[in-house]
Amino acid sequence: MKPEDAKPICECTLLGLEREGMTPAVHPDVVGVGIGHKKVRGFATQDLALKVYVRQKLHPLLVKDGRAIPEEIEGVPTDVEEAGEFSIWRPIPPIYQRKVRPAMGGLSIGHYAITAGTLGCLVKSGGDTFILSNNHVLANENRGAEGDPILQPGRFDGGKTDKDVLGRLDTFVALDPEEANIADAAIAQPFDEREVTPDILGIGRLRGVKDASLDEKVMKSGRTTRVTQGTVVDVSATLRVGYSTGSFVFTDQIIIKGQRGSFSAGGDSGSTIVSYDGRAVGLLFAGSPFFTVANKMENVQKALDVKVS
Amino acid sequence: MALVEEVKRRHEASLMKIRGVVGVGIGRKDGKDCIRVYVEKDSPKILAALPRDLEDVPVEIVISGAFKAL
Repeated sequence: MKPEDAKPICECTLLGLEREGMTPAVHPDVVGVGIGHKKVRGFATQDLALKVYVRQKLHPLLVKDGRAIPEEIEGVPTDVEEAGEFSIWRPIPPIYQRKVRPAMGGLSIGHYAITAGTLGCLVKSGGDTFILSNNHVLANENRGAEGDPILQPGRFDGGKTDKDVLGRLDTFVALDPEEANIADAAIAQPFDEREVTPDILGIGRLRGVKDASLDEKVMKSGRTTRVTQGTVVDVSATLRVGYSTGSFVFTDQIIIKGQRGSFSAGGDSGSTIVSYDGRAVGLLFAGSPFFTVANKMENVQKALDVKVS
Repeated sequence: MALVEEVKRRHEASLMKIRGVVGVGIGRKDGKDCIRVYVEKDSPKILAALPRDLEDVPVEIVISGAFKAL
């Protein structure tokens, strides 16, 4: 019999697949069968064999009674090979892109219609706690409406509207195509305040807010590039920034250059820029191939009438 | 800084109108405050159109590439 003809017999007697005229059986050690070169003492020969893949290959003396794989099946030699357990290859995503409760700064978040951005930090307004990020993360570039679901993780990271809704969109600073903008910012209210915490992943708690100074070292924690360090190279920038709905001019922005490579990448929008003494200095929202741009946190607080907590 | 801030404010509108200029800001160069002009790419045409200083404030030309929301 040819290996191709003997294989279905193996599939029936070892893996339990249905076959006419035979009783299916599952061999507890076998994880797969196939056709390949017969190996002898570790070296492949020219002969074809029925490959029987087992979780663990044992010394013949250790194989339990009745569990040994026959030397040949219907005249076709078998070859037992250790394969471990087969599983779908699904690398575990970093915690920054997973669902985390209580949610905190640095994690993936987003309006249900966008891909994903970053949860910046928590802010207070009138005694209530809110989540701070960008307009283009929480309010879909002006297109979001109050009450829209906010997902953690964001949709791109598998967030679903039926089980990953952290809160609802509250208010946003509208992006103005005519005038110079100061902030790309929005807040969302969590359904349950116990589902959020003022920590920033990999950085810790904030110790207030301040304006960054030139040459100051800063860091951020974001969904894509995680914790990175950089230097403030500009504290009063006016720039044209491209969005999916067009370009907007921003003024009074800070510009950061990464210490080693990029300070940020797509998906890091909304990250809080933190000084080395733990103060929130900016809200990351844009970048060029060499620089990262952030709104000044003092301006963000004023524009939304909130206080970083 | 206050002076540099004023100089920048007076010139930023005209600088932003130059094709290829994507931003204007304030930074530091050799320990002195300067005006930073961000350009999309390293093109002799853009560089030739930019001043080296403005009202005695040095101008630093920075090749940044285009800025996009992240």
